[in-house]
Amino acid sequence: MRKEERGKNMSDNTINIYEKKAAEMTATNIIDPEDVFSKTPGGFLSLDRGGEHYERVRVIRLFPFSDADRFLSVRDHGNGDKEIGIIEDLNAMPEKSKKLIKEQLKLSYFTPVIEKIYGIKDEYGYAYFHVLTDKGECKFAISMGSNAVTKLSDTRLIINDVDENRFEIRDVDKLTKKERRMLDLFL
Amino acid sequence: MNLKYLLPPGIEKQLGLSEGERIYYCVPFDIDGNGNWTDDSFITVTTEKIHVIKGGDITSYNIRDLSKAAAEPGVGGGILTVTGNGSDMVLAHYSAKHMSRYAYIARGINILISGRFEEVESSEYEKICPKCGHVIPGTGVCSKCSGNGGFLHLIRTFTKPYRKDFFGVFMLMVAVAVVTLLSPEIQKRLINDVLKVNGHVSTAMMFVSLMFFLSVSIVFINIAKSISTARLGSKISDDLRRQLFEKYQKLPLSFINDRRPGELLNRITQDTRYISEFIADVFCNLFAIFFIFIWDIIFMIILDVKLALLTLSVVPIVTFLILTLRKTISRIFHVQYRKNDDVASDLQDVISGMRIVKSYGKEKEEADRFKVFSGEFARIQMRNERFWGFFDFSMSFWMGLGLVIVVYFGGREVLTDRMSSGELYQFIAYTLLLFQYVGWLGRLPREMSILKTSLERIYDVLSQKAPEENPKARDIAVKGEITFDHATFGYKSYQPVLEDINAVIKPGEMIGIVGASGTGKSTLINLLMRLYETDDGSILVDGCDMKDISRKSYHSQIGVVLQETFLFSGTIIDNIRFSKRDASIIEIIKAAKLANAHEFISKLPDGYNTYVGEKGYTLSGGERQRIAIARAILVDPKILILDEATASLDTESEFMIQKALDRLTSGKTTFAIAHRLSTLKNADRIMVIDGHSIAEIGTHEELLDKKGIYYGLYTAQMQ
Repeated sequence: MRKEERGKNMSDNTINIYEKKAAEMTATNIIDPEDVFSKTPGGFLSLDRGGEHYERVRVIRLFPFSDADRFLSVRDHGNGDKEIGIIEDLNAMPEKSKKLIKEQLKLSYFTPVIEKIYGIKDEYGYAYFHVLTDKGECKFAISMGSNAVTKLSDTRLIINDVDENRFEIRDVDKLTKKERRMLDLFL
Repeated sequence: MNLKYLLPPGIEKQLGLSEGERIYYCVPFDIDGNGNWTDDSFITVTTEKIHVIKGGDITSYNIRDLSKAAAEPGVGGGILTVTGNGSDMVLAHYSAKHMSRYAYIARGINILISGRFEEVESSEYEKICPKCGHVIPGTGVCSKCSGNGGFLHLIRTFTKPYRKDFFGVFMLMVAVAVVTLLSPEIQKRLINDVLKVNGHVSTAMMFVSLMFFLSVSIVFINIAKSISTARLGSKISDDLRRQLFEKYQKLPLSFINDRRPGELLNRITQDTRYISEFIADVFCNLFAIFFIFIWDIIFMIILDVKLALLTLSVVPIVTFLILTLRKTISRIFHVQYRKNDDVASDLQDVISGMRIVKSYGKEKEEADRFKVFSGEFARIQMRNERFWGFFDFSMSFWMGLGLVIVVYFGGREVLTDRMSSGELYQFIAYTLLLFQYVGWLGRLPREMSILKTSLERIYDVLSQKAPEENPKARDIAVKGEITFDHATFGYKSYQPVLEDINAVIKPGEMIGIVGASGTGKSTLINLLMRLYETDDGSILVDGCDMKDISRKSYHSQIGVVLQETFLFSGTIIDNIRFSKRDASIIEIIKAAKLANAHEFISKLPDGYNTYVGEKGYTLSGGERQRIAIARAILVDPKILILDEATASLDTESEFMIQKALDRLTSGKTTFAIAHRLSTLKNADRIMVIDGHSIAEIGTHEELLDKKGIYYGLYTAQMQ
């Protein structure tokens, strides 16, 4: 009888753990400007929040296309990438944190923005681009067979090359007529 | 894949390698500290150190001081990190171009950290030819550099097996050309020798009958030509369709998953049709027309040099038009092609998701969306046709002009008796012929561009290298012992889904696989089904590496029941027989009985002949599942794989199926994935997959005593 009771207690405990887990998983925490971000010697970001220290946090964009600087999820890298909280608006954060977070985002998001198209040559199922991006001049190739070009809107494009690099064209209408004609193949 | 790039001259000296320190890996990284592109940075891993080279700056890390290296993938790039003294450091930031390379580097560094000195090698192919910058489509050698690229090469590869047929067509084309060119000559004779000089009726009759004979023979030659080219065209497209289909089946699943289904269908159905149409409509006339064209011009020059040159002066204008428009034509038709694909894909999407669309009442929205795609396609098509119409029209205008010139100047020559009226007639006939074929040649770019696009799309598939079977592979009679030996696998080389899986499963043992979704349970099953091969380590069957067992022999000895059973269009008996084509009826009925399927099948009005599949009789989930089990039982598999076989069923069907499965699994090595742990009560051991590897393995009781993940899952479900 006592043994049974003990078993029951134990399984109750497990249930409680699960309930706690579920509550944690569903809770939405907001990171406020008081929480302190700092840079680790290794080049990462750490966070002190509510008396807890997170040695290395990762910052993820929840809406990388539509709202790149808002709704950033901050995650505890060491602890299974669990979400610590959400930054609602990066621009509302203190300058220092903002700078550090932006630096960190640069490490995990690399999407050069195409500013000028020098040429597009298509050959045997692949298109070879020669472009100028905000990160410098570059050449890349995309496959014409698969969905290399994603239209985010009528004028905004994401181009994935064969290596899975991402390039963005913010506004097709801002390109010259000649450049647009070259792009026509993919629109 | 190259893991040992050459350092720029001088840099290696700067590294100051110590005695006995050897360079293992050297790869560039292409993003600098500010997030801009750079081309002078390298990571060099030696037996002792990691050197990070940024232009002239070199930072070195002792491998001894490190505890871990990782290539962390990000979006459009990744970072190489190492852990030393308990904290993580970023060493390099690279774009996606080097992502796979760094996955190998991290693996290599970890091996060095563990004190071993094995060198990691990558069997992956480079995606872009380092020599010429062209994409290498899944093959080992660059087709461009080896001289196997090019449109002509494509044509040659595709037409090579049909040389004889092509020769036959070619001879017919020569015949057409000769007869066509002969007609005006005879007409000239008729005018000059008979009509103008009041010649004899019998001579006239001779010419007329000659003309009649030529007309009749051109009809017959053309019929013969059409028949043989049509046959040739359909033969080629049939062969291509077959080759494509075979290739689709041989290629790794990832190839299919990367592409839209509508598009893959189009390659088999549309692209091959275009090729056969091209052969039938264009190719068969190609040589004949070139032949006629050249002789036509020669005859014109013989007749009257001045007039011929005048007429031909129109030709350069037309040629110029053709050349300048050729590029535009090829472009706009490619766009039309893509839009057509969009329409097909969207249609497929909506039709397969019709239940969801209807249940949320979103018919109107979907219709609106489709209207946009369809409208867009129509717009492009209209634009293209308009362009085409304009192109055709302007060509006719120039040709009309040419004819006016001929009549005007030729007429004057006849009036001044420098040319006979028969000759003028012949000249006009040749001019008409010339223009007719200039028009045809003008159509050629469009046809060629369609052909080129189709050929490219087909070639894209055919040139993919399918994983080849190990030549040493042999047939074995499987007993059922499975050993996972450091098995590591990821759908992408830089994102491992399973890491270092080690386990030995005894023959006849039943293993339950549990774990949260997305942890790699189904991936493990995919490896067992041999849909993918391990990146590192191996899976052994009865002590023999899976890669050394022939596919046919292995697959004939495993049985699979998945969560969603796919039934092919066909009868129930066809579907059960799918796993073993030569099974007798009695065997099939026995299997159906064991699967608890015989009862419900007998009660169907059409019994085993009931037509199921997409358009057929709708079976319930439980019924479909039991057919799948019968299918698995039929082969009497030695290894059985159940991926949530009962998850989508109601309690009663689940009970029935569980009974059937119990009969099926006895004595067979079984892997069963289940969320509902009650279905695993017969399992000999439970394997818990968590965090890319086996977190716990043992009997039900052992794992409960351990109070780990399984204990948590079990108590949570018992409540």
